[in-house]
Amino acid sequence: MSVSLLAARGLDYRYPGGITALRDLHLTVRQGRKLAILGANGSGKTTLLLHLNGTLRPARGEIRLDDHPAAYDRRSLDRWRCRVGLVLQEPDDQIFAATVEQDVSFGPLNLGLSEREVRERVASALRALHIADLAARATHSLSFGQKKRVAIAGVLAMRPELLVLDEPTAGLDGQGVAHLLEALQHLHEAGATLVFSTHDVELAYAWADDIALFHEGTVLGQGEALAVLRDREMMRKARLAPPLLLEVVEALDGARGDSPPRARAEVLDLLRKRLKGAPLAS
Amino acid sequence: MRAIDRHAWTNRWRDWHPAEKLLPAFGLLLMALLLPPLTTAPLIVVVAGSALVWGAGVPARALLVFVAPPAAFLLLGAPFLALSLDLSAGPTLRFSPGGVALALSSTLRALAALSCLALVALTTPVADWASLLRRAGVPAGIIELLLLMYRLVFSFAERALTGQRAQAARLGYSRFGRGLRSFGLLAGNLFQRGLTKARALEIGLTARGYRGELPVLRAARPLCRSRLATAMLGVGLTGLAGGWLGRALS
Ligand SMILES: Nc1ncnc2c1ncn2[C@@H]1O[C@H](COP(=O)(O)OP(=O)(O)O)[C@@H](O)[C@H]1O
Ligand SMILES: [Mg+2]
Repeated sequence: MSVSLLAARGLDYRYPGGITALRDLHLTVRQGRKLAILGANGSGKTTLLLHLNGTLRPARGEIRLDDHPAAYDRRSLDRWRCRVGLVLQEPDDQIFAATVEQDVSFGPLNLGLSEREVRERVASALRALHIADLAARATHSLSFGQKKRVAIAGVLAMRPELLVLDEPTAGLDGQGVAHLLEALQHLHEAGATLVFSTHDVELAYAWADDIALFHEGTVLGQGEALAVLRDREMMRKARLAPPLLLEVVEALDGARGDSPPRARAEVLDLLRKRLKGAPLAS
Repeated sequence: MRAIDRHAWTNRWRDWHPAEKLLPAFGLLLMALLLPPLTTAPLIVVVAGSALVWGAGVPARALLVFVAPPAAFLLLGAPFLALSLDLSAGPTLRFSPGGVALALSSTLRALAALSCLALVALTTPVADWASLLRRAGVPAGIIELLLLMYRLVFSFAERALTGQRAQAARLGYSRFGRGLRSFGLLAGNLFQRGLTKARALEIGLTARGYRGELPVLRAARPLCRSRLATAMLGVGLTGLAGGWLGRALS
């Protein structure tokens, strides 16, 4: 049974301008899972993620860490942010140093580690994201996809238990997405719990274990990815169309199998098998 | 600015200890200031230029682009140094022999100094400057501020450029008056976005444990004594040659 690492209970948040961004929001992050926060643009995903590492403080409700209410004094916040690493959507909001290696060293140095340990962590974080060859490069000369990986490496080098990523695939091309997901999958297999926000139902279907469906500042429902995506009523309410791959599989099988194929190649295989024998319309 | 920066990061001497580039350049600069400029200064320009082009592998074009604007400025100003105003028989302007010599020597000196600057600027990336300044005892806060500004200049320039292109695409610069208005709008917008960005950067760094300081690893790069010695020898020889030629000519 997975344990709850972090939970949000009844969060309300309103921006100074007067926009209510979160209302009575409940969310549970289970250890060792990949949780997608799935919702349309402007539904409040970024605002929620900023609550998960204590950057924003809810007007009502609380964040619980290991089932204890989180505190917001300096020392508790420091400890909180060691455990929960947040990667912002825009890499330029997180990268500040002149070279990649220097930038990634920032977090570990803040942890007060020795120089040797810092170098070791920087090297392994760069390796994990397949950017070891960029170590000496100037950060401002990198492509968007490379910056994105550097930003993730910078957080990863602090070895958080929970890695929170805001729209990790936004702005990347197909290959960039594939590379990034592969690197994240490795991290996940090495034991990291992942939370990521997205508006992309295909990504959520292909990659998430759990989904929290988001709409107008609240979680409509949370559960196993498949169960959430198959809940037509709830999906409609969140103004999201079901993933194409899932629809294709269901159209082919009609069945509601427990583990329909999630990868594109598998679905295509299934499609080919079904079409064999049947004459193709020309 | 972008080009200078790119060469600083990619030239062949990029991985040398910064002192190996800074000390010889400083040595050349001293020669330019102390020795007779008529012979030493051209020699220094040649030495610094060939070191950059053949040594560090910086394209000659990049060097020209770096020195051309200030050099043009110097050359335009030189004739005015040579002029003198004579008030004894009504105000007249004329070239005085002393003035010409002064104009020539100070222009040559300035050009030599400029090539020393190019030698450092085109081979030493900002990150190395920072570590050198730190070792020289400059307070950490000031260095961090400089580095942050350096980083922000690039993202600012990028946004300014895309903003300007977007405006131009909608004909914002098709007439002078309209261009001025577009520019004003862009500047205002950039300022606003700058504030938002600064806040976002603070959030991003706080997530990584930011507590008011920006510590980063320093590059572990040993000083190569033999390389430094060779370079300083070259500098010394340049000085000797310049001084000897100067005496031989006078
Ligand atoms: N700094 C801010 N000040 C005021 N309103 C904001 C701010 N950031 C976001 N909002 C508003 O809060 C709502 C949720 O935004 P956000 O959390 O960014 O959504 P998402 O990440 O799902 O696109 C939106 O209506 C947005 O306009
Ligand atoms: Mg967002």
